[in-house]
Amino acid sequence: MLKRLLVDIAYYISTSKKYAKTKRFFYNLLENSNDKYKRMFDLFMIALIFASVIILIREVKLHVNDGLLFFNDYVISIIFLIEYLLRFWISSSVTEIIIKQSEHDLMLGDEFRAAKAFKKILQAKLKYVFSIKAIVDLLAIIPFFHQLRLFILFRVFKLFRYAKSIQTFASVIAAKKFEFFTLFIFASIIVFVSSVLIYVMEANNPASAVNTFFEAIYWSIVTISTVGYGDITPVTEAGRIVSMFVIIAGIAVFSFTTSLVVTAFTEKLDEIKDIKLIDDIENMKNFYLICGYEDISKEVSKKLIQNNKVVILEEDQEKASQAKKDGFFVLNYAPGSIESYKKLKINIQEQVKAILCLSHSDVENVYTALTIRSFNKDVFILSILKNRVNTNKLFFAGVNELLYEKELTGMIAKGFVGQPVAFELIHALRSSYNGVDMQEIFVNERILDSFTTVGSLKCKKYRILLLGIFKKNEEEFCFNPSESIALELGDYLLTIGNTQFIKEFSNSLYKKGD
Amino acid sequence: MRETTALVFGYNDYTFEIVKNISLYYENIQIFKLDEDDKVIQNSKYKISQFDLSDNWDDLKSGVDIEECVAFCVLEDMAENIFLTISLRDAFKDLKIVALAKDKESEEKLLLAGASRVLPTMQTTANIIVEMLEKPIVSKVLHNILYEKSDLKIAQIRIDNSEKFNKEYPVDIDWGKEYGVIVLSVLREDMGIEFIYSSKAKHHQIKEGDIFVVVGYEHDIKEFEKLIGGQI
Repeated sequence: MLKRLLVDIAYYISTSKKYAKTKRFFYNLLENSNDKYKRMFDLFMIALIFASVIILIREVKLHVNDGLLFFNDYVISIIFLIEYLLRFWISSSVTEIIIKQSEHDLMLGDEFRAAKAFKKILQAKLKYVFSIKAIVDLLAIIPFFHQLRLFILFRVFKLFRYAKSIQTFASVIAAKKFEFFTLFIFASIIVFVSSVLIYVMEANNPASAVNTFFEAIYWSIVTISTVGYGDITPVTEAGRIVSMFVIIAGIAVFSFTTSLVVTAFTEKLDEIKDIKLIDDIENMKNFYLICGYEDISKEVSKKLIQNNKVVILEEDQEKASQAKKDGFFVLNYAPGSIESYKKLKINIQEQVKAILCLSHSDVENVYTALTIRSFNKDVFILSILKNRVNTNKLFFAGVNELLYEKELTGMIAKGFVGQPVAFELIHALRSSYNGVDMQEIFVNERILDSFTTVGSLKCKKYRILLLGIFKKNEEEFCFNPSESIALELGDYLLTIGNTQFIKEFSNSLYKKGD
Repeated sequence: MRETTALVFGYNDYTFEIVKNISLYYENIQIFKLDEDDKVIQNSKYKISQFDLSDNWDDLKSGVDIEECVAFCVLEDMAENIFLTISLRDAFKDLKIVALAKDKESEEKLLLAGASRVLPTMQTTANIIVEMLEKPIVSKVLHNILYEKSDLKIAQIRIDNSEKFNKEYPVDIDWGKEYGVIVLSVLREDMGIEFIYSSKAKHHQIKEGDIFVVVGYEHDIKEFEKLIGGQI
């Protein structure tokens, strides 16, 4: 009966939308680095930690008023306690464990084994409680009275949770934990042996400063670390011989430590850079995602970067390095792998303007397009086509626009032989050669407030040509529109002229709306 | 003099696309396949001959009148294409050579090698991709005009009857209202091609021999031609 009630409660809680929403909110706040409130929360906690430290430092020599002490000892501690309990709550799902166990037992035809479920719950919660982060959190709650002054260290250690760079440093060091452990054992043995030796050699000598074993250990550590305060020095010959060995061992330990840290950072540098890059990309809006960095994509990226943000995915390390050298945001990820997009942590629909599949292989472009379509149906995908026979395959994979370079070459050849001057002019317009450009201006409400007909635009005054209007409603291009033609919301004006004059013309349309 | 024969050097996908697009302009098209090229020759309505990169062009000289030819160098290997261009230029000083360039570096080398015109495939593809993304309407309209996929056309018209304009300046005439066409630019021997609103074009009166680049509907362009001269 009690077991049944327990399972019912577990189901009730796990299906409660309010409970799920609340838990998700706290999970995002405490653990999800993409959550908009997490940054604020982290800053708040960092401020509390610093406030705590400042109060303690002030308290050493000066009087701190009771209000501040109360704030420090109780308010901050209570906030830390609440945080600890929330983390304890979200670390694992009790209801989920109960339900899983119940379903497992039901499937096997057994009675629900509540004891086993409790054991699993206990294991999950204890795993959290004994994690280093949780221990630091717990110790940081303790108000630090004079007797417990050292506990402030745990409040400072809490910074690890909130400062990303400290976490990165910790992860770099953690990557070399075996080497650091070996070094620690080596240093410990040296310290222990030298402490014993120096104690045996010096402790009975009245001229020596080494009187206790603690002083011997202190001397060993100060010497092995190459600090050498000089407050304790060996006076016997045997003691000095021990010192020489400790000094040499100290140099070895010191250089080994330095090289370990440097190697760890060098090895992790690319990963650290990628993490930073992913964070930057996460905050980007309206950028182009280019898959592949080869000849055409190099040119396209260079042109797009002038007015846009561009992110490149390139699987080949050499090409990715080249793209980095060229100054782009590059990730050495495979564009055809779904994992790459998961690592990117972006909302493709909201953040990406278009995805360009510019690899020189139709196979790779089909694969990339299919990968993208498997998780997003709407983002605009443009691809190049290398072999005409693959046209349908690329469209079938979900590409919106295809560009066949060889067909384009044929058309250019036709233009060159048929109408060379006209063709050259259009080519010049396309590449803004000689400063003359062709631009489209979107007709919005602001423009319509002041300009209702083509005649009112006064294009001639700005020395630009109005080639025509793309009428949104009729979905057709109205060439050489007469002055009486009315402008409508959503139309596009196609203008040709000097880039600067087009800009002035465009600005004048908006200014008049003031 | 208008060339009547197109000599296409190279047998690949570029060849097929170029031949398809230029067939209207030439009476005779000859395709030359590089000896080393292992691509299988398919049924073609054009004559396909073999050639190598040696300097022996005697067969070519005996087969066609070089003065009436345009050569298209479309070998996929850029080093070979440049070598072919330089070889043709060395043998035929006045031959019009149109060469395929896959990148900017090859484009410059081909011009140095003596190509009259270069087809910059990569640059153009990149420009068009950017245009499709950044200016989709412009891209669509230009594409339709250039590749005759709409009633709108672009044409070069030479002024044979300048008296009609009575020493007027091109910028002072409302071409759209009076003739139904838009004059984009003017080409003159003394100033090259200039956009109609450029300061150079603004200060030049319309003269016989000027070439106008106009956009308009086919019948309007024809009417305009009749009035002022002829289409080139």
